[in-house]
Amino acid sequence: MSSFPVLLVDQIKVLLGALCIVGLYSVLYKENKIYRFFEHMFLGLAAGYSLVALWKDTLYEQWWLPMTGRLTETGTVDAPGYWLFALLLPIGLMAYTVFSKRHNWMSRIPIGMILGLWSGQQVQIYWNKFGPQILNSIKPIVPTGTDGFFQQSAYDFVNGAVVTKPDASLILSRIYMSEVINNMIFLVTLLSALAYFLFSIDLRGKAATGFNKLGRWMLMIGFGAIFGSTVMARFALVIDRIGFVIVDTFEAFTRGPG
Amino acid sequence: MSGFNADKLQKIDRRWLYVILIVSVAITLLVGKGTEIPVYPDDSSKDLYITLMNVPEDKPVFIQSDWTNSTRGESRGQMMALLRVLMSNNRKFVIYSMGDPQAPQVARDAIRMVNEERRKEGLDDFKSWEDYIELGNFPNAENSLNALGNNIRSAWGNRRRPDTTGVDRSVFESPVLANVQKVSDCGAYVVVTASSTIDFAVERISDKVNLNAMVTGVVGPTVLPYKRAGQVKGLAIGLKGVYDMEYMMKYGLNHQLEGGVIKVDYPQKPEVSLPPVPNGQTFGQGATNYLSLHIALGLMILAIILGNVGMFVGRKGGKK
Repeated sequence: MSSFPVLLVDQIKVLLGALCIVGLYSVLYKENKIYRFFEHMFLGLAAGYSLVALWKDTLYEQWWLPMTGRLTETGTVDAPGYWLFALLLPIGLMAYTVFSKRHNWMSRIPIGMILGLWSGQQVQIYWNKFGPQILNSIKPIVPTGTDGFFQQSAYDFVNGAVVTKPDASLILSRIYMSEVINNMIFLVTLLSALAYFLFSIDLRGKAATGFNKLGRWMLMIGFGAIFGSTVMARFALVIDRIGFVIVDTFEAFTRGPG
Repeated sequence: MSGFNADKLQKIDRRWLYVILIVSVAITLLVGKGTEIPVYPDDSSKDLYITLMNVPEDKPVFIQSDWTNSTRGESRGQMMALLRVLMSNNRKFVIYSMGDPQAPQVARDAIRMVNEERRKEGLDDFKSWEDYIELGNFPNAENSLNALGNNIRSAWGNRRRPDTTGVDRSVFESPVLANVQKVSDCGAYVVVTASSTIDFAVERISDKVNLNAMVTGVVGPTVLPYKRAGQVKGLAIGLKGVYDMEYMMKYGLNHQLEGGVIKVDYPQKPEVSLPPVPNGQTFGQGATNYLSLHIALGLMILAIILGNVGMFVGRKGGKK
């Protein structure tokens, strides 16, 4: 019997969740008040939750506790407080003076600090982000392996164990024709896409404009692939919601207690 | 053909398409549950599996969980697959968020769900403090990651969690983080995200840790260049990535099953042979939803074909 209330609470939670989802999806039929109600409810909940989480997970642990210090269970000082942390509050509040015509100059102080930090980091992170990609753009385009079109398998399975072929290192170090073709496609795509963004020079002649046009095609193919991935992602999300409304709700009401 | 009106194909009420989609997906979810679809995992997913199965026993995995319920259809499956691999191999982990303030709660829910699965199978729970530490949310991923990369002891120094007796102590006193002096002391770093926080991780710590990512299908294409350049070692993208992981958890990688069958091979990395996970559930959200995804995409392709046929037939009729 003790599990009954827990089960009932679970059922109510699932049912409410399903109702919210159906309410939000009702916009697919047409714009309506039920959708608006659930939309506002969702935004209100998200804002309220974020506010509490911001205090609990961030401000309290990162700012309040270091500022006020900590006592042990017996009342002795565990960590002393650093009251200089209090200065962060007025600096942060200055950002809100942006709403006042008279005092909005003060909002530039915290914004300037953030921009300064951000700019400093950009210098530091630039190579981390783009350096390895630039280096990786340099790829071999001349084959060194002529014993096949594709890379050979460098291992065998013998009695359930992986056994590396004696000439595996040689096989792995060779550049096969299939790899060369891949690298060529990469190189042409890279250069033609870069050429498309070359606005400083007036491109003339069939070869130059053709290469530029190829770049546009390559970009379009890339965007198409990205769009395909996005569509697949959206379907995955919809399927999860349909699963929640139909399968999870059905299961919540058909499973017994315990 | 005289009764055929091509215009109708282009003017199907979208609401009928929604109904067909919902009904077919729902039927597939109810009837097709447990159907195993053969899959050839992406190389990037294989690399992620290799990383996770090779985490040293004495090093914790850092999980940056930056997803919320808005991408539950992909991200929760990824998170649960990740947790299953780690728990099955008895690897400790630290979990925290640098994105949305709601992210820690969904991560906690995922841990609870995997623990429930393990309990049902007679396996031990993963316990907070001893086996994992949950650090909550860090605002501003850029600066938080910068701080983490520079000095982890300072960045996480203020975080305290209850130990096994319920007394709040510094997280660095826990068995999970006791040996961690700098961020590179982690066994692997995995970002589960639906946003650009993976970019910030690449920019700030990819040169210090073994960085891996589990991202949504929307974010996936932007992470592929990082994978190609070696900045991200392993990568699972979207629902396909979830199913890839679950499939390898069940069948291993370059691993000979009974009867000499190898379900998932990796010819480019012959030296690797990884078994399935030793215990616990393997198939989950990926296996449940993957068939439905095929059905939904099939319907979409059919709708596109019908629309185009209608357009071409209509044009032909117009010319006459």
